[in-house]
Amino acid sequence: MINYFAMERQIQQLRESAATMISAASDLKELDNVRVKIFGKKGELTGLLRGISQLSAEERPKIGKIVNEARAQIEQLIADKNAELKAQDLQNKLASEKIDVTLPGRKIHCGHLHPLTLTLNRVKEIFIQMGYTVEEGPEVETDYFNFEALNLPKDHPARDTQDSFYITNEILLRTQTSPVQARTMQKNPPNTPIRMIAPGRVYRRDDYDASHAPMFTQVEGLVIDKGITFADLKGTLDFFCKQFFGESAQIRLRPSFFPFTEPSTEIDVSCPICHGKGDCKVCHGSGWLEILGAGEVHPDVLKMSGYDSNVVSGFAFGVGVERLAMLKYGIDDLRMFFENDIRFLNQF
Amino acid sequence: MQVSTKWLKDFIDIDCTADELAEKFTMAGIAVENIVHAGAGLEKVVTGKVAEIVKHADSDHMFVCQMDVGAGELIQIVTGAQNVKAGDIVPVAMVGANLPCGKKIVKSKLRGVVSNGMLCSADELKIEGDSSGIYILPADTLVGVPAAEVLGLDDDILEFELTANRGDCFSVFGLIREAAVLLKKPAHFPEIKVNEDAGKNAADMIKIKIDAPDLCSRFSARVLTDVKLGPSPEWLQKRLEGAGIRAINNVVDVTNFVMVELGQPMHAYDYDEIVGKVLNARRSVAGEQLHTLDDSNRLAKGDELVIADAEKAAGLAGVMGGFETEITEKTKTVVLEAAAFNAASIRRTSRAVGLHSEASGRFERGVNEKATVIALDRAAQLLQEMGACKVCKGIVDIYPNPKPAVKVQFTTKQINDRLGTNYSDKEIVDVLTALGFKISGNVATVPDWRNDVTLMEDLSEEIARIYGYDKIPATLPKGSQQGRQSKTQNFTDKIKNILAALGMNEEISFAFTSVETFDKLQIPADSELRRAVPIMNPYENPLLRTNLIGSILENAARNLSRKNEDVRLFEIAPVFFPKSLPITEQPREVLKLAGLIMGRREPKGWSQNSAEVDFYDAKGIVEELFAQLSILNYTVEAGAHYALHPGKTAIFKKGREILATVGEVHPAVAEAFGIGKKIYIFEADIATLIKCTAKKFVFESLPKYPAITRDLAILVNREVVAGEVEKVIAKAAGEFFKGVTLFDVYTGDRISADKKSLAFTIKFQSGERTLKDEEADAAFKDILLSVEKTFAAELRA
Repeated sequence: MINYFAMERQIQQLRESAATMISAASDLKELDNVRVKIFGKKGELTGLLRGISQLSAEERPKIGKIVNEARAQIEQLIADKNAELKAQDLQNKLASEKIDVTLPGRKIHCGHLHPLTLTLNRVKEIFIQMGYTVEEGPEVETDYFNFEALNLPKDHPARDTQDSFYITNEILLRTQTSPVQARTMQKNPPNTPIRMIAPGRVYRRDDYDASHAPMFTQVEGLVIDKGITFADLKGTLDFFCKQFFGESAQIRLRPSFFPFTEPSTEIDVSCPICHGKGDCKVCHGSGWLEILGAGEVHPDVLKMSGYDSNVVSGFAFGVGVERLAMLKYGIDDLRMFFENDIRFLNQF
Repeated sequence: MQVSTKWLKDFIDIDCTADELAEKFTMAGIAVENIVHAGAGLEKVVTGKVAEIVKHADSDHMFVCQMDVGAGELIQIVTGAQNVKAGDIVPVAMVGANLPCGKKIVKSKLRGVVSNGMLCSADELKIEGDSSGIYILPADTLVGVPAAEVLGLDDDILEFELTANRGDCFSVFGLIREAAVLLKKPAHFPEIKVNEDAGKNAADMIKIKIDAPDLCSRFSARVLTDVKLGPSPEWLQKRLEGAGIRAINNVVDVTNFVMVELGQPMHAYDYDEIVGKVLNARRSVAGEQLHTLDDSNRLAKGDELVIADAEKAAGLAGVMGGFETEITEKTKTVVLEAAAFNAASIRRTSRAVGLHSEASGRFERGVNEKATVIALDRAAQLLQEMGACKVCKGIVDIYPNPKPAVKVQFTTKQINDRLGTNYSDKEIVDVLTALGFKISGNVATVPDWRNDVTLMEDLSEEIARIYGYDKIPATLPKGSQQGRQSKTQNFTDKIKNILAALGMNEEISFAFTSVETFDKLQIPADSELRRAVPIMNPYENPLLRTNLIGSILENAARNLSRKNEDVRLFEIAPVFFPKSLPITEQPREVLKLAGLIMGRREPKGWSQNSAEVDFYDAKGIVEELFAQLSILNYTVEAGAHYALHPGKTAIFKKGREILATVGEVHPAVAEAFGIGKKIYIFEADIATLIKCTAKKFVFESLPKYPAITRDLAILVNREVVAGEVEKVIAKAAGEFFKGVTLFDVYTGDRISADKKSLAFTIKFQSGERTLKDEEADAAFKDILLSVEKTFAAELRA
């Protein structure tokens, strides 16, 4: 005969033994065995419940309440243990999945633009934001556009410095991008304001060495409008150099001679490598590097292309892209640009 | 042009260092390229007298000298030299000297005997002279003075890199004029005066003619008699040496001296050798023999200016004198020539002859034709002062069209407007006056030595450079304009960026090529790609390229030879096609794209596939490029290309336009370029790509209803190409067809040898509703029937 108190005691014992078993379970399977042992068809709690029918009507609800409490408590313990063991399992799994994170990542090969293109793109960007158009002209030019329209008649001694590749006596590979100046002026109605740059390949019959190549890249610039001054030239190229080389860049203008400008100047930029200090291989300690030729457009050049120097004035400049790239990236041999070694190209 | 500072100091007080002077010149447009400090390294070298010399007790070849270096006490120096004796005066390097030869002098002991310096040889001082022993100075040399002074090395040489416009600065006087303005010091020019003491009239002795007045604007001559040829005095030799000119004899040296001093080249003729006693500046006759003073016989082309006597040309005017009339020891009477020759003509001749002399360089930049007579006077004066000649009365001077003075109109406002400055009237007049301009109101009269100033703009440069370009303000142009680049430029920039994103490196190569390259590329003999533009004076390769394939293969080969095995390159550049041959007008320039891939598909890595790229990688790059450029609805077919594998060449087409050619490089072509690997290229024409780009891009909305797919695996004959099957599938697939993807191609043991298996996934979708399976099945059935019929295809189980 099962009496109320014995039953109450048994429930209490079950509670205690369940707590011990749950706590002792070392994995999810063991925990499940405990659950079955208590709640299964032949489980201990199930067994106890069968005895309830032998209790009196008053005792049954009381015991029922105790049983439900015990069930809830044990279920909670199992759930808690379950969560704990799952967390443990996950942790073990993660621990077993450890990899060597120092192995290199899977490589993706991206291509690279040529450093001359990157340099030219920067130059274009700076001038386009200042309102310049980008003009182009043929690489095979006439003597007229390459020289004569720029105030360089035949037998002018300044032609000596530009040894040309001739196709015929009147047709040659352009030695400079300056012919685009005359071409642009001539396609405009007279005295139309111009702000342009003309980037492109140019050709000179030089030996191929660390500082010369038979083909290289230039950017020509031309600004024409009413009241354009030499001071505007200086301010524009100072702005360009600061944009290109950084705010600390300084420029220095030296008087020079070009047949197509008057006054003419060569422009040095403060050495971006040593900033004028010490024994620098690039600027030889002078602190200055020649990068640009420029000047106020010669009135004859305007006149030859239908512009009137009494109405408008302008300035022009020319800069070597290789030179800019060499300074920007510290490249000391011009030939690197044209050998196209992928170990070189991959760096940019 | 180079000159010693001592020469300049003859005429102006220079109170700054050579470096400072050079900086001032350079910043005023008279560029000094280099400064040679002649006495560098001789700072602690003095003259010393051997007071006593005895043999070293412990050496059979050394001597111990007691030297008087003017210090009161004698100093002891051990020397190994065998040519020194008591009483000799020699250069002594004192302790602390850092000699030009690199030796540093320290106090030392030589076999136990203290030595406080070194007796120097010519070589150790890097001066000319016998270097077999110590350099023995003349017996009257002062003792204890700097050796540099005694050796004439206390001087600095300025080497100028003058611009083409400043012919006037090719002279000491020209530089002095500039220096006077820059240093704000007066210049003291020498008095030029001749005593015409020969008792004869020059005009009676020699006749001057100018038959080619366009090439010779003035010809002036003096006659010197009783000429005593000999070496020039040492001071003159030193001056010439400083100017980089070798001394020859007094007559030639004086002509050279005057050339450097005044900028006027001169020539001296042996009067007795002049046939007919006439000198004529005329054009040569084509084929005429010219016996020049280098004793070579040259054939005249017919347009050179020559100076001829009654019989023959006696020399190339301004470039090289004649052999017969050269000054020799027998010369008794001399005709001095000072003339103004046409710059362009001299330039042509000197280039043709390949001879650039001090004289031709000056003529090319233009000489001051007003100053020929001054040069003659100066030369006669100098020779007379040396006692080397007597001077005949008068100058024979032919100057048919005297050049009028150049006058330039200007206003202060014009100059300031050009420069962006604010100089006052006075500031402008001051500079111009100091430079020798005569100012009268708004007119500046240009000094006769300045042939480069003809316009107000030229005056503005004078103002700017003398006040200094650093004083010009920096402003930006007023107003604004719209900056932009052209459609083609944007398009090529876009292609470059896409290809870089697809793993390609941009290359830039020279535009030159050769017939050998065409041969290597197997370009057919009749192809227009062989009709290349020839260069008259090539550097290496004599033609302009007609394709980019040659250079891209050369770059690949160079990379391979450097063990760069995985190469992906592209280039966008123009190629050139003549409109006619021989060339009569500018060629067509056509912008092309070429790309190349070889080596591994994936970068080498511990967990990466090491398979090599193949045809389909190259094709995939082109397909992706086209997708990004919105080049749509093109077709691809097998084709042929001179440099490609005949079975692995694809042509991308849109209508009749060829968009691109892709293929494997023909193994024979690859081998010709020294490439032993498989290599894949593509090429395209930029203008065609631009033309075939979809004009308008509109986005397609995402599908609302799910798609149904069906897989179709069929066996077909091997010759059947997948592209054709896809076309048939698309055509038969009905209204809900959304696309077909080939996902497997199989040939091999499991099927018969003449068959291949193709497997496609076909997608069906509707924009309005969810399709029913039966609808897809019906479409699939139509497709199957169609491919069975067209290709005799069998459905694979």
